[in-house]
Amino acid sequence: MNDLPRLGLYIHIPFCERKCPYCDFNTYAGLEALYQATVEALIAEMARWADPLAGRTISTVFVGGGTPTVLSPRQLEQLFVAVHRTFRVAEDVEITCEANPGAVDREKFAALRALGVNRLSMGVQSFQADELRLLGRIHSAKDARVAYDMARRAGFDNINLDFIFGLPQQSAEAWAQTLEEAISLQPEHLSLYSLIVEPGTPFFHWVNSGKIVAPDEDLAAAFYEMAMERLAQAGYLHYEISNWARRASSTDSESETPHFACRHNLLYWRNEDYLGVGPGAHSHLRTSGNGSYIEQRWGNVRPVRTYVRRTCEGKPLAEFVEDISPPLAMGESMMLGLRLVREGVRQDRFAALHGCSPSQVFENELRRLSAAGLLTLDAERIRLSRRGVLFGNQVFLQFLPEA
Amino acid sequence: MNLDHIRNFSIIAHIDHGKSTLADQLIRMTETVTEREMREQLLDSMELEREKGVTIKASAVRMIYKHRGEEYEINLIDTPGHVDFSYEVHRALQACEGAVLVVDASQGIQAQTMAHLFAALEQNLTIVPVINKIDLPAAMPDEVAQEIEDLLGVPAEDIPRISAKAGVNVEEVLERVIAEVPPPKGDLDAPVRALVFDCHYDSYKGVIAYVRMVDGVITGLPKLLAMNTGKTMEPLEIGVLVPQMLPVNELHAGQVGYIATGLKSVQDLDVGDTITLAARPATEKLPGYRPLKPMVFAGLYPTNPDDYNELRDALEKLQLNDAALTYEPETSQALGFGFRLGFLGLFHMEIVQERLEREYDMDVIFTAPSVEYRVVKTNGEVIAIDSPAALPDPTEIEHIEEPWCELRIFTPAEYIGPVLDLVTKRRGELKTQNWLDSKRVEIVCLIPLSEIIVDFYNELKARTKGYASMDYTLDQYRPSDMVKLDILVNHQPVDALSIIVHRDQAYHKGQRLVSKMKEIIPRQMFEVPIQAAIGNKIISRANVKALRKDVLAKCYGGDVTRKRKLLEKQKAGKKRMKMVGSVEIPQEAFMSVLSLEEE
Repeated sequence: MNDLPRLGLYIHIPFCERKCPYCDFNTYAGLEALYQATVEALIAEMARWADPLAGRTISTVFVGGGTPTVLSPRQLEQLFVAVHRTFRVAEDVEITCEANPGAVDREKFAALRALGVNRLSMGVQSFQADELRLLGRIHSAKDARVAYDMARRAGFDNINLDFIFGLPQQSAEAWAQTLEEAISLQPEHLSLYSLIVEPGTPFFHWVNSGKIVAPDEDLAAAFYEMAMERLAQAGYLHYEISNWARRASSTDSESETPHFACRHNLLYWRNEDYLGVGPGAHSHLRTSGNGSYIEQRWGNVRPVRTYVRRTCEGKPLAEFVEDISPPLAMGESMMLGLRLVREGVRQDRFAALHGCSPSQVFENELRRLSAAGLLTLDAERIRLSRRGVLFGNQVFLQFLPEA
Repeated sequence: MNLDHIRNFSIIAHIDHGKSTLADQLIRMTETVTEREMREQLLDSMELEREKGVTIKASAVRMIYKHRGEEYEINLIDTPGHVDFSYEVHRALQACEGAVLVVDASQGIQAQTMAHLFAALEQNLTIVPVINKIDLPAAMPDEVAQEIEDLLGVPAEDIPRISAKAGVNVEEVLERVIAEVPPPKGDLDAPVRALVFDCHYDSYKGVIAYVRMVDGVITGLPKLLAMNTGKTMEPLEIGVLVPQMLPVNELHAGQVGYIATGLKSVQDLDVGDTITLAARPATEKLPGYRPLKPMVFAGLYPTNPDDYNELRDALEKLQLNDAALTYEPETSQALGFGFRLGFLGLFHMEIVQERLEREYDMDVIFTAPSVEYRVVKTNGEVIAIDSPAALPDPTEIEHIEEPWCELRIFTPAEYIGPVLDLVTKRRGELKTQNWLDSKRVEIVCLIPLSEIIVDFYNELKARTKGYASMDYTLDQYRPSDMVKLDILVNHQPVDALSIIVHRDQAYHKGQRLVSKMKEIIPRQMFEVPIQAAIGNKIISRANVKALRKDVLAKCYGGDVTRKRKLLEKQKAGKKRMKMVGSVEIPQEAFMSVLSLEEE
């Protein structure tokens, strides 16, 4: 039983107090009336998986959104109780919860701790007042600092802070200042995202109508390099294209993923299995039985009401299901694994998943890309070169089929 | 066999003046086709023809019409409407005794009306003018009638005024054809002479020749001979067109019909050729035959080099049906293995491109079109070249001659200034200017062919709010100071981007090309210099800045499928580009020379 692969569980809370104008996630403001029904639907969806996943162990849980902390302590408790009742959960489980610095208080942090949440991820985004306003955030820089202290005092010893750079008209000074403030708080983990203006968002509309200028890509590249340099000096290990973990003394070796890396997200990048529950949540599962083996990715329906209704009626929730063929799975392993800039795609992990060696399957691609200086490869692993980190897409696409 | 009750005629008109609509009405009126089978533009069978609303291939239909109690066999021969196909128009007209000249009541006489009319008069055809679209609000039938009277001497009040669309007065057209167009002459007892006025390839029956029987009678399926190509044929079928093929046992002088020749390729039978009996050949072939000569040339390459063989097969098949298309293998450093194609004109080139893409699903790149230059070398040798790559070393060139043509433009008088300005900009010379009436002018000028094959017609339309029309014929070769303009990308000359231009325009065109390339070539992982050069001299330069970063910021569990699809799309986009050295060049770069004059 124990040799079945571990599993991550993602729980999507599709609610926010306010929807940020750059955000294209499946989250909605003003649906307070649906909070309880959604929590009950989430519990019902998990229950559907109790039998099919009976033999498997949940090694990480990630409660994301949206803003999970808009739920009441009572609702959060119902959810966590259901997780433990439904699945077998590992002893050393990592449980992450996202939090918005503008939607937390001492009581909620205490509740999360009491429910076993041992990692907190806060969307700070910036320490500049004008940038926070542009981003439509409901919190101030001060709110973020206060929330961070509060979380520490509540006992959280593994905290991530999210930031966005490459904002329209962002200056180098402003970005440097945000970085310094972030470092001074000494979080265990930092996620820095280059702003992408996604179709369908107000930002997209504003850029097209000239209300705001489009982010300058060259500047964003410079800010990214600035962050890489500064965070390295400050003792942060760059382990994924957009993620850094604070060096945890001697346990972190040069080429491996650091101790404070997000274990749940590592499942994604290592192309392992996860179950996503909630509206618009995605899953990736390999299942075998009766001699057959299937690998699938699917996504749930996005509208909250549809999700709740279908769950109540016992109807299927998937909006799309994709069968992943073995060659495609290998391409995905490369596209995802190469994002781990320290660990890379490990030959042994790849072989364990796909039963063959990446240096054989992708011989031509690897030769070409390493000749172009975008990849380095050795007996153990394949990694992006420093230059390759900046041109990741040019590398990833080589391993994928054409559209 | 009574030739008195046969009438053979064509309809000639400027594009959109209602030729196809009138043909449809005549077919309907004579009940040649049942109402159920009827559809618009019945004679245009190609998908492209129906879509563009033009006739590309000639076609014919036999109609039976009762006039004063007697049955007449009336053959309508449809002609292509575009200047590129004027040779086909001539052959089609040669098969007739009369032509119905359709003029739009709101637009009056246009360039192609004149071109076709002159062609019809050359063949001594009886012209039956009609004024169409009299029901349009902008119709000015009286003015147009006066124009026609001035042109043809037909009294304005005698010209039928019709609306083909609404079916008004259409019968009158047939009455006039019977009354005014003479019946065919022809010697039924003489050896067979049949004029091939068009042919097409049918996948079941091979090459189908559309013929006008001039002399003699073909009975059954005798062995036949094409007098120009010398090919003998064992026909599978003879018949008439109604408009689909209807087999008959006999075709006699004066009639219009078809011969399923049994030939396998249209290359074996030229339009304009004379078909006779192999056993009893005619002594003299019919006049007017000349081989088709392409005037515009361009390179054609598969986007994906692996598709070369497929492209060759597609061209072979296209040529089965398009005798005017020529091709031969060509190699480009930038684009690999491809072909040099010859076309009758730019419109013809456009049609070939669309047919390749649509009917054969080919993804192709065309290089900038060129005309055929004559290069007189220092050693006295004269060579014809149709590609910049074939231009000899400048030291070996005594001088270069380029083809000029006579260009006829019809325009409302208020646009004379902009039109003459365009002609001058394109190195043209005004020859004459004739006033058609107080509002419209015919401008006749001499101009290098190379200047009108690229974007001239669009520019003319733009400058005259769409009112001007044009037509051209080849005039003569003249010495010209031409140079080869090369484009270098990342210091490497890209042969497929070279063009031959007049020295006076080289600097301007070089600059425009460079800035166009800069727009089109996407940023790469390194800086890419783009230069224009004449020989070793760089005349223009710009840089495509290096891309700093290309990586998706986020990729988590919920993103995998979406992000993967984005990357797959990016990959497909890359595949459509051509690698020149280490630079990715989008296909449109190779066609950008076509729109240099826009801004």
